[in-house]
Amino acid sequence: MAREQSDYTFTGPHLLGLMGLNPLQLTSILDKADHYAEQARASQRGAPVLKNKTVINLFFENSTRTMSSFEIAAKRLGADVVNMPVAASSVKKGETLIDTAMTLNAMKPDVIVIRHSASGGVKLLSRKVDCAVINAGDGMHEHPTQGLLDTLTIRREKGRIEGLKVAICGDIVHSRVARSTTYALHQLGARVRLAGPRTLLPGDASDWGAEVVTTDIDAALDGADIVMMLRLQLERMDGAYLPSRREYFRFYGLTQERLKRAAPDALVMHPGPMNRGIEIESAIADGPRSVITEQVEMGVAVRMAVLDMLAGSAPS
Amino acid sequence: MITAILNARLLDPATGTDLPGGVIVENGKVAAWGQGVTEAPSGAGKVVDAGGLCLAPGMIDLRVKTGEPGEEQRETVATASRAALSAGVTQMVLMPDTRPVIDDVALVEFLTNEDPEVEARVHAAGALTVGLGGKAMAEIGLMKLAGAVFFTNGDEPVADASILKRAMAYAASHEAIVMSRPDTASLRGSGVMNAGSFAARLGLKGIPREAEWIGAARDLMLAEATGCRLILDQVSTARTLELLAEARARGVKAGATVAAHSLFFNEMDVGDYLTYCKVNPPFRAEADRQALIAALAAGEIDAVVSAHDPQPPEQKRLPFAEASFGAAGLETTLSAVLSLVHDGPLDLLTALKPLTCGPTDLIGIEGGRLAEGAPADLMLFDPGTPWKCEREDLITRSTNSPFDGRLLQGRVMRTFVRGCEVFARG
Repeated sequence: MAREQSDYTFTGPHLLGLMGLNPLQLTSILDKADHYAEQARASQRGAPVLKNKTVINLFFENSTRTMSSFEIAAKRLGADVVNMPVAASSVKKGETLIDTAMTLNAMKPDVIVIRHSASGGVKLLSRKVDCAVINAGDGMHEHPTQGLLDTLTIRREKGRIEGLKVAICGDIVHSRVARSTTYALHQLGARVRLAGPRTLLPGDASDWGAEVVTTDIDAALDGADIVMMLRLQLERMDGAYLPSRREYFRFYGLTQERLKRAAPDALVMHPGPMNRGIEIESAIADGPRSVITEQVEMGVAVRMAVLDMLAGSAPS
Repeated sequence: MITAILNARLLDPATGTDLPGGVIVENGKVAAWGQGVTEAPSGAGKVVDAGGLCLAPGMIDLRVKTGEPGEEQRETVATASRAALSAGVTQMVLMPDTRPVIDDVALVEFLTNEDPEVEARVHAAGALTVGLGGKAMAEIGLMKLAGAVFFTNGDEPVADASILKRAMAYAASHEAIVMSRPDTASLRGSGVMNAGSFAARLGLKGIPREAEWIGAARDLMLAEATGCRLILDQVSTARTLELLAEARARGVKAGATVAAHSLFFNEMDVGDYLTYCKVNPPFRAEADRQALIAALAAGEIDAVVSAHDPQPPEQKRLPFAEASFGAAGLETTLSAVLSLVHDGPLDLLTALKPLTCGPTDLIGIEGGRLAEGAPADLMLFDPGTPWKCEREDLITRSTNSPFDGRLLQGRVMRTFVRGCEVFARG
């Protein structure tokens, strides 16, 4: 039986999550993103493949970083970008959310980039619109472009994904980044270890493709090639999930001492924004092994690749 | 310094030993023990002729309250230590419900620092939630590093199951033990004694047994869900024992303690509104007491605790409903348990196990057994000596003992901590 082209290359129609994408599809996005990254580094302008196309950034949750990254990516491809930061409080749930989508759809955009605080919120909107939808983070579900940019950063630094030991540490249960990144890395053959206090570890984490799920961060770091620290929401440290910031830093914070357990050439990553002195020591965040700024750079490249693959005009 | 204790009846529940023999102590540790030890080695600084009395590991009491810090008029750690040593208790765990609550590292260290006035070995239990408020989890990991042996919300268990579940999950990631009093505050209400016909006759509000059953079922299920090691604190009813057995059969890591006074008294002992018999959990029905004894005989109870809770007279000389809960128990634990030996249901080693290696194994501390190299924490006692418990003779600062006026048997004659004699009677 002939395989669909989409089995080999990512074709959309939406990018709602990384779960379910196969290694070839993931690789096709990474290859394209790599191309855009090189182009940016060479200060070249590529073909305006989104010329005369409209991209709407519909953000129901505040995010300066991700929205700017999408905006820059779309503009570099020549698109017209409309940013719609919608304060969560001004939008009612349910029907109004769908109404918003219908209204925007009537304006005939080509891509809508959506961030929403509810898991599944982006999927719901994608059913109501005719254009491509990119999930820029939905609740505690997925953040696919973050998973891709993490994967691309690692692939560029290490030259491969397969066989790498990747420790993802911190608040796993509330993290859409952890889910998307774990799916992608696992599909591409990395050996993922998830570590955090039990209150922040999901019960089903062993089904995500992680090789190890542990409460012992030192065990997770042992010989790791990549150490990825996740952001801890400060309000989770007021006694509900964790006793205090100082206790978290003592047992789960990434210190120079703790980092010695990882491989000598281990890379340190963080999806940002960082809580310095809580999940990561400043000296490490700013140190030679940190690729945190590269992650931001790759974010633009990955978003260019996804926008291109979902809405770009075929090369003439 | 070498000490020899000779001509004793050696009792070691951990190994099931009940033999005549002696113990040689060197540098605070047991250097040799057994039937073969019949003479003092040359250079022994002190030789004790036990005169055939029982020599056993010092007792470990997992539930002791003092008033320190904050209510020193009830009891200090030093006065509790003296009371403990006079009764053969060489290690005690202090509960966190003090003022302030023991919910941070500095307070754990305050209680457990070496103090020349305190010769018993003292451990601290940390508060499970900040201020025991039942809302925000306390610094379990840091307190465990500082030496806290387990974590508990004391007499008022965490009411919100979601908060308790997270605290237990968090404790499990630190391999910390949670001790929870199985109770349901909304069912306990303002009850003051066991719910039943006797309470009704006295016109007192009852504490229903289902308050404990529901609490126990909840705590055991959360322990199963989180993988947390749980100790059910002061089991008082037969059905709680069934819930415990069922959970253990499912692989739940659950231990249990029983208060010594619950093995001795039943609800009828409240008698004529005796406030010294007002405790929480309350003295239950005779069938419950018998079930606790049977569980003890079957080895299902890890530890018997004194539940020592000194209350000054102004808290007890009140109408029953208004009086404080709590009984001073340190000095009567051994006799209460020995009463079950004298009355028949237990043999001596089975009775001593939940006072020695039972509690040390439960919380993972040293002591509680006769073994070469083990700390020489020992008690020399006569199981048969009769005595009358008189409040004014008790060493504890508050003398609210339900045993007041009771005829008991079994007295500790000498107590040793790290090989040093810290108590001698007469």
